[in-house]
Amino acid sequence: MTKYNYATVEEMPPLAFSLESTRMIPTGSWRHVRPVYRDKNSPCHVTCPAGEKIPAYFELVRQKKYEEAWYKILEDNPLPGVTGRVCYHPCEGQCNRAGYDGAVAIHNIERFVADRNLQNKKLPAAVESPKSEKVAVIGSGPAGLSCAYQLSRMGYRAVIYESDHEPGGMLRYGIPDYRLPKKILDKEIKDIETLGVEIMVDSRIGGNVAWSELERYDAVFVAVGAARSKKMETPGEELKGVYSGIDFLRELNTGKVPKIGRNVLVVGGGNTAIDAARSAMRLGKRVTVLYRRTRAEMPAVPEEIEEAEKEGVLFQFLVAPVGISGNKGKVSGIELVKMKLGEPDESGRKRPVPVKGSNFSLKADTIISAIGEEPDLAFLPYSFLKKGIRLFVDDDYTTGVPGIFAGGDAATNPNGTVVNAIMAGKEAAISIHEFLGWRSRSNGASHDVVAPEEVNTFYFPHENRVEVPRQTVQKSKSTFSEVNKTLTEEQALTEAERCFTCGTCLHCDVCMTFCPDVAISKDESGEYVIDYDHCKGCGICVEECPRGAMELVPEGARETAEEVKTA
Amino acid sequence: MGQIKYQLPPEEVLAPGHFACPGCGATLTMRYALKALGRKTVAVIPACCWSVIDGPVPYSAAGVPVFHTAFETAASTACGVKAGLDAQGDHETTVLAFAGDGGTFDIGLQALSGAAERNEDIVYICYDNEAYMNTGIQRSSATPFGAWTTTTPTESPKAEKKKNIVEILAAHRVPYIATASVAYPDDMISKIRKAKDIRGFKFIHVFSPCPPGWKFEPEDSIKISRMAIESKVFPLIEIFDGTDYRLSKEPEGIPVHDYIKMQGRFRHLDDEKIGLIQKNVDEEWARLCSKIVPAMQVSHAARDEMKGGRKSSRARGARGTGSAKKKEQSARR
Repeated sequence: MTKYNYATVEEMPPLAFSLESTRMIPTGSWRHVRPVYRDKNSPCHVTCPAGEKIPAYFELVRQKKYEEAWYKILEDNPLPGVTGRVCYHPCEGQCNRAGYDGAVAIHNIERFVADRNLQNKKLPAAVESPKSEKVAVIGSGPAGLSCAYQLSRMGYRAVIYESDHEPGGMLRYGIPDYRLPKKILDKEIKDIETLGVEIMVDSRIGGNVAWSELERYDAVFVAVGAARSKKMETPGEELKGVYSGIDFLRELNTGKVPKIGRNVLVVGGGNTAIDAARSAMRLGKRVTVLYRRTRAEMPAVPEEIEEAEKEGVLFQFLVAPVGISGNKGKVSGIELVKMKLGEPDESGRKRPVPVKGSNFSLKADTIISAIGEEPDLAFLPYSFLKKGIRLFVDDDYTTGVPGIFAGGDAATNPNGTVVNAIMAGKEAAISIHEFLGWRSRSNGASHDVVAPEEVNTFYFPHENRVEVPRQTVQKSKSTFSEVNKTLTEEQALTEAERCFTCGTCLHCDVCMTFCPDVAISKDESGEYVIDYDHCKGCGICVEECPRGAMELVPEGARETAEEVKTA
Repeated sequence: MGQIKYQLPPEEVLAPGHFACPGCGATLTMRYALKALGRKTVAVIPACCWSVIDGPVPYSAAGVPVFHTAFETAASTACGVKAGLDAQGDHETTVLAFAGDGGTFDIGLQALSGAAERNEDIVYICYDNEAYMNTGIQRSSATPFGAWTTTTPTESPKAEKKKNIVEILAAHRVPYIATASVAYPDDMISKIRKAKDIRGFKFIHVFSPCPPGWKFEPEDSIKISRMAIESKVFPLIEIFDGTDYRLSKEPEGIPVHDYIKMQGRFRHLDDEKIGLIQKNVDEEWARLCSKIVPAMQVSHAARDEMKGGRKSSRARGARGTGSAKKKEQSARR
């Protein structure tokens, strides 16, 4: 530098020549916006009630690290084999690829990862050191299992009290084999036990186990679910041949074959109704589902409805039962009234209104009533605050009685799905952790979600969504073997490649490739470093980032950017 | 299939701290060219943006020797440098003439034509930002029809079509001509590497967007380049010996309207004018295809034979990574 640092023009040689690099010139001072790497949330992750880190485990799947992918899911959900089969997968509804060439089949990848680890007994270790406190959980459905599992990972001793002979709650007794084979459920419950959760079966609180037994615990989580069918409140309900959907499925799921007639009517439009109808179909019956609104308002998972239709289940919409007729104490038919849709009710769905004088009758040997379930809370010793038929809980799952928490279908704010129960269990565990005097670690993640327009679709050539392997309808109609199959490894890898991985940097080098200022490089650990002495802030890296993992922040607002990062 | 990724040569010859505007296409062109050619290169730069971008005395960004020369002399100076190297017995160093559209299409055309006719062994890269940007956005013969520049104001935007420089060079029957874009860096680098290995005169015409001159936000540089290719405004081709045309990338054929609307220099155009541009693009494309198609058919038939009658797809390999294409070309030589 000094060698060519001429004091005057006269000192310079006749021909001007440059021997120094422009690297000396801090052109970064031109910049008024600065690019920063900032991982954001993917819409699937924020939509998943259990909060599964979908982009992270997809990346592990792409690297064929199926065990690590499984561990990644297990951080948030101990039952991926279950949810990979029965979850209503709202994640896919929000997938940024949906508007491009079809949502990524997240649900099926989850199942693939779980099934890939069916023989895997090496569970991830607890994340925190053992603690002296003990927590009792009432009920071993998805909420109870999830809560006890998370508490166990945090180092607590968690004991589940289950009134039935086998754990699993509605997962075991409410979901038919063709959707969820028992061996999957057994495996995942076994894993939870291996982790240290104790499950006491045949232990009904308020029955053979007194409530006072629970006093030796530091906290209690009530997750008894909603396992009692609501009554139709129509005359004739007590006749022989009238089943509740829950009882019918329960008999099937305990290996019995319920004695039902040839002509089966199912009343209701939820998942229990569809499960009951498809199960009856498999017993070789003629099945009709009666629902008081239209197909659009049915709360059951749309794919399940479609599959039921394919299998030959008949549907009759806009009808409600008014009475059940019998012959010698046995069901012989049902009297129905036609309905029409009126103003929307509090659930946002249109309220069905009976059409006067439109009554008619249908013949039936068996009527399965599946119009909803309610929790059985009679065992509780205190008067808890309730909302309707459910326990009232705050956002932190507290009941108002110190140390007693509740969640899942027994408490308020459920939507009756498995994954919501898993969420309740997980969040209640964090609440209990805080109640016991610990501070839960904030993960410091950003709250921003990547919008579809932030994805640079140029980098993702069109590729169709995977076809899920299915059993033929002909076979489905007659057996309880699983309808949907697991993706093959090849299918899973192709599908995982379709994922945009919104908001998570995958070190694809696009930012580095297009930097005109040569201001982006990689350090020894492979992380990108922006040379702010030379970056002019053109923003090409941010615009070109395929997955919205970078952003431009105003220059001078550095502190603000840092604050945003840590908020 | 997954995500499109680029594998570029890792060495950075170009230094940061250069004087290019943010989002400059010409600078990316130089960065990729130097990645392709390596440090054993001498660059000759006439008056153009790069006279400034390279930095003030005593600094230089290029990382290789640069000879700054007069506006009209890029090609002739490069020939002189090449002759000088040859005289010293250095036949390995690549001589690169690196000029803007003004120094290529207009002022330097005579020297360019002379060097091409003599088939001098140099690589000539024209980074085309479609006007005299360095001096304040005056129109050049590379400025497209309808564009605003300071000398073709919106009241009377440029009324003439862009000069077809590639056809002029093709008429010289030089061994290798290619067009390239900063949005397809792997394609550009493979073409420049190919040019380096061919003896004789090589011409690379690079589409280089200019954010201040075209009036768009600097972050959109790559997007606009990509749209120029996809709308057939700027086809990516190779021409061997001035006669054998090859298409490097099958465009999607998006409307020219989408490309035009991204840029302030076309803001005054109404739909009728844009329709004229679309018509012209379609005609030019048809003309180009009439030259390409026979070659495509031949190469497709050959490829089908190679792969056992597999249905051909033009899109395959169109991103400049098609191995079948490369094999064919190396077989040719």
